[in-house]
Amino acid sequence: MARIITITSGKGGVGKTTTTANLGTALAMQGAKVAVIDADIGLRNLDVVMGLENRIVYDLVDVVEGRARLRQALIKDKRLPELCLMPAAQTRDKDAVSPAQMIDLTNQLRQEFDYVLIDSPAGIEGGFRNAIAGADEVVIVTTPEVSAVRDADRIVGLVEAAEKGPPSLIVNRIKPRLVNRGEMLSVDDVLELLAIQLIGIVPDDETIVTSTNRGEAVVYDQNSLAGRAFLNIARRITGENVPFMAITDQQSMFERLFGMFGRRRS
Amino acid sequence: MSDLISIKGGRDGLRLRLDDAVDWQVLREALSQQLAQKSGFFVGARLMLEIGDRTLSDVQMATLLELMQQHGVQVESVGATARESRDAARASGLTARPLPRYPEPAMPNPANEHDGMLVTRTLRSGQVLRHHGNITLIGDMNPGAELIAGGSVVVWGRLRGLVHAGALGNAEAVVCALELRPTQLRIAEQITRAPDGAGRNGPETARIEGGQIVVEPWEGSKRG
Repeated sequence: MARIITITSGKGGVGKTTTTANLGTALAMQGAKVAVIDADIGLRNLDVVMGLENRIVYDLVDVVEGRARLRQALIKDKRLPELCLMPAAQTRDKDAVSPAQMIDLTNQLRQEFDYVLIDSPAGIEGGFRNAIAGADEVVIVTTPEVSAVRDADRIVGLVEAAEKGPPSLIVNRIKPRLVNRGEMLSVDDVLELLAIQLIGIVPDDETIVTSTNRGEAVVYDQNSLAGRAFLNIARRITGENVPFMAITDQQSMFERLFGMFGRRRS
Repeated sequence: MSDLISIKGGRDGLRLRLDDAVDWQVLREALSQQLAQKSGFFVGARLMLEIGDRTLSDVQMATLLELMQQHGVQVESVGATARESRDAARASGLTARPLPRYPEPAMPNPANEHDGMLVTRTLRSGQVLRHHGNITLIGDMNPGAELIAGGSVVVWGRLRGLVHAGALGNAEAVVCALELRPTQLRIAEQITRAPDGAGRNGPETARIEGGQIVVEPWEGSKRG
């Protein structure tokens, strides 16, 4: 029986789709059977990020409206046979699906997978309500920006009102140097406001851009800090107790070292 | 409020109770006046309307709802003793509930600003607490949230959204919080915003003094 986890944010562009793709991949790398669903109907993205766009024949709306069977719409990942994608329809809009249909769909997937991750659209309207309708748990992604955190707070309220239990939090795109200079909200600032369980901190990392554009998950990249952060989040989701990695600013470490040598010489 | 109109907040939301004995015209004018005068409290409110034993036609019901809407009030349901009035409410697309006859005299317990509402949770962006009396919140209030009270507001936590005390006109109302950092603070007709930059730490109280809002640190000893 699968756990159904919706990844949402309120604000757009904070990294929901990247998070969904990477957590899905990371969970499948650990041997779990994973389905990722793109619930952003009309603005399909998850297939592009996962590099599966050219394999789409049927989509979520086709399944809901009975034109395709569930199996036909599930696309196998390029590398991991345990990972499947249910793409969104590109030519329809959010009203093409109802919350009841989403619950029905997730319940069908529940039988065959260990994890079902749903990539929610931005916003608090119908698309968001569809995305959380079938969820057992909700993960909120935010970036350390005042506007993103404000929207995340609104989403926490809506998730609680929908009786999905307290959501957990991923803080994405932390820039240690700016935090150290007091020019960016720190993880503590974000937590102080949202007061929900933190399950991941992802540093701002250029490898995300390159791997996303190539259609490859960043968790494959051994050298990527963001990739390591996503692997850790996936382990926390499976129940492992993984300490948070220290997100230090490498440059300032060097500066501190040089500063030390400087003083010794004098 | 007025003798003809009373507002009451409960666990299931606000209820606006209209007198059912007075002439319909008089009631409509009183309501219109009250809604305009106390717009700080009413704009954005969603409430249940209780019309008592009065029988309203479809047209009368529609005018009533339109009047409420003009003042930014959204009626969620109508409580009425008379079946015709409930049918009229349903014709306007609302849910209607039967209502026991008002006890005699018609308005025995006018809503009291000393009534209180106690809430224990985090009030998050987009969430609104609205009550005709005092509001006590045990927990933080986040930016983007709103607290609107006919009486005073006490927040045992951080107050960071929009707060309006004395929203029904009571200039004696106060706002206090362990950390008072509202985006905007209103008491009765007065509006102020927090000064830019970091404020003081520690509990503070805001009240109207000499026609404007004054914020002072809470020093129990000075108050005896």
